[in-house]
Amino acid sequence: MNKPLLTLLFLILLSPLSIHAQKDSIITRATLYGIGHTNQLDTYLSPMEYTGPELRILRENMRKSKCLEGKLMRQSMFQANVSMLGNKAGTGSEFSFLANWNLAYLYQFPIDNQLKFLVGPHIDLNGGMIYNFRNSNNPVNAKAYANLGASGMAMYQFRIKEHPFMLRYQLNLPLIGLMFSPEYGQPYYEMSLSKDWGKNICFTSLHNQPSVRQFLSVDFPIRKTYLRLEYVCDIQQAKVNHLKSHAWSHAFMIGFVRHFQSVSQSVK
Amino acid sequence: MKRILLYILPLFLWASCITEDIQDNTPQGNFEALWRTIDTKYCFLDYKHEEYGLDWDEVYRQYSNRLTKDMTKKQLFQVLAEMLEELRDGHVNLVAAHETSQYREWYDNYPANFVDTIQRIYLGKDYVMAGALKYKILEDNIGYIYYGSFSSAIGESNLDEVLNELSICDGLILDVRNNGGGLLTMSDRLAARFTNERVLTGYLCYKKGPGHNDFSSPEPIYVEPAMDRVRWQKPVAILTNRRSYSSTNDFVGKMKAMPQATIIGDKTGGGSGLPFSSELPNGWSVRFSASPMYAPDMSHQEFGIEPDIPVNMTSEDMHQGKDTIIETARKHLKDKKK
Repeated sequence: MNKPLLTLLFLILLSPLSIHAQKDSIITRATLYGIGHTNQLDTYLSPMEYTGPELRILRENMRKSKCLEGKLMRQSMFQANVSMLGNKAGTGSEFSFLANWNLAYLYQFPIDNQLKFLVGPHIDLNGGMIYNFRNSNNPVNAKAYANLGASGMAMYQFRIKEHPFMLRYQLNLPLIGLMFSPEYGQPYYEMSLSKDWGKNICFTSLHNQPSVRQFLSVDFPIRKTYLRLEYVCDIQQAKVNHLKSHAWSHAFMIGFVRHFQSVSQSVK
Repeated sequence: MKRILLYILPLFLWASCITEDIQDNTPQGNFEALWRTIDTKYCFLDYKHEEYGLDWDEVYRQYSNRLTKDMTKKQLFQVLAEMLEELRDGHVNLVAAHETSQYREWYDNYPANFVDTIQRIYLGKDYVMAGALKYKILEDNIGYIYYGSFSSAIGESNLDEVLNELSICDGLILDVRNNGGGLLTMSDRLAARFTNERVLTGYLCYKKGPGHNDFSSPEPIYVEPAMDRVRWQKPVAILTNRRSYSSTNDFVGKMKAMPQATIIGDKTGGGSGLPFSSELPNGWSVRFSASPMYAPDMSHQEFGIEPDIPVNMTSEDMHQGKDTIIETARKHLKDKKK
């Protein structure tokens, strides 16, 4: 491993410390709201796919740091989405909720004044549930998983009639992780009896969790602030304990972006 | 820039999709989906093969021959419902908007052993209700509680009050006849009032995979005494009939492990598989037994639990407005006191 990569991993592990070390940073903060469409499968609940609308909120903090000669960026992203879904026949419905927190350290590779690439590791924590309204002893399945993965970003700045625009694409790919899952036909009642959840924690990697989150956005100025339009393609999939699941979401988001300097820099 | 987009855009389509092989919404597709759900998830296929020769592959051959492409949904429902009846399981239902299938022979082919008009004679008009419990002190100082459905919750305070009120009695009759089950947690809560120590009452398994024998290792089920609560210390008679099913069957199995309890009446209806749900491409829902529960000796309780004192209601007693099973319990509890 080369030195920058080792430094990035070190920063991931000691992220609370690194926050204090990052002085003189510019913070970009975005809060977005959106609607989309979800296709969901969870064979613990049903072999059928459920589809329907989703609501999503996304909050992102991106901090430019002077670490690694100012080429490192720390991105913290929180997302939550709720969906009300129905089966194709229109006879069953499900409610799903998922919250996701993602922390990435991205090393910048500027190509020219307009284009730069960023890559780095990220950690990814997820929690939620799916509730099926007509099932008997398997009405709900909890979702909890954590991943270490790779994150890549391309940023392209350009102008239209002197107005600055920024086009951004990001891909978060989980590589290894741990996932909670009931076993094939395991009732939650049994879990409450055994209290031994070791068998319900599964190792995941690309072979059984080929998931990806992608974000394509454009920022442009509106008076003194920036508006962001974003498309989120959130593909969460897993095949563990003989159970298959997927949540394919496509959402269109809108919100404001603010850029400001950290307090520590202002004091300095 | 074009080259960059050419590299980036395919990533939106990336990801090897994880999907389930879903059958078409045709008579054949729905039949296949239902047969496969039972084949991979139902928990008693091998046990029932041993008990009465159920051959699920043969069932496929037999019933798939009855399918036609242009059959109506009611005709399809009839075929699928009859196929499910081969499982002889009251926990198996096919649910469509127009009908719910149900296997009923587990009680239809047996004496009812419960007549509510006769029960009313025992309860009178001055019985008390606490939560889902009806109770009264009978003339011979025997307490009588009727619990008609484990789907109806009873609170810990309800049990405290009822057992405290009946504590002056010489014995207790707990009648769970015609109780078709409900919440297992209610079964645990009620049984916890009849022991002073932790009692092993059975085991629970579940399927770890789609094979007929892919079961987990048995998880012991214990009844823990309800600490700091009123617990019954005197003899108790549990009254059962064939319609004591599912959670009630579980409760009777638990009480069978309590030394001061006597099961009186008819064999219970069974239903020892914890039901799960699934669905077919046409949207019909199917419920089936997914996790077997066993007695402490690992024997099956799917077809019922034998009473300690088998009794049927006699027509002679019924003509006199008497409940033979209640009368047997009263005599048994009085004899115990002596």
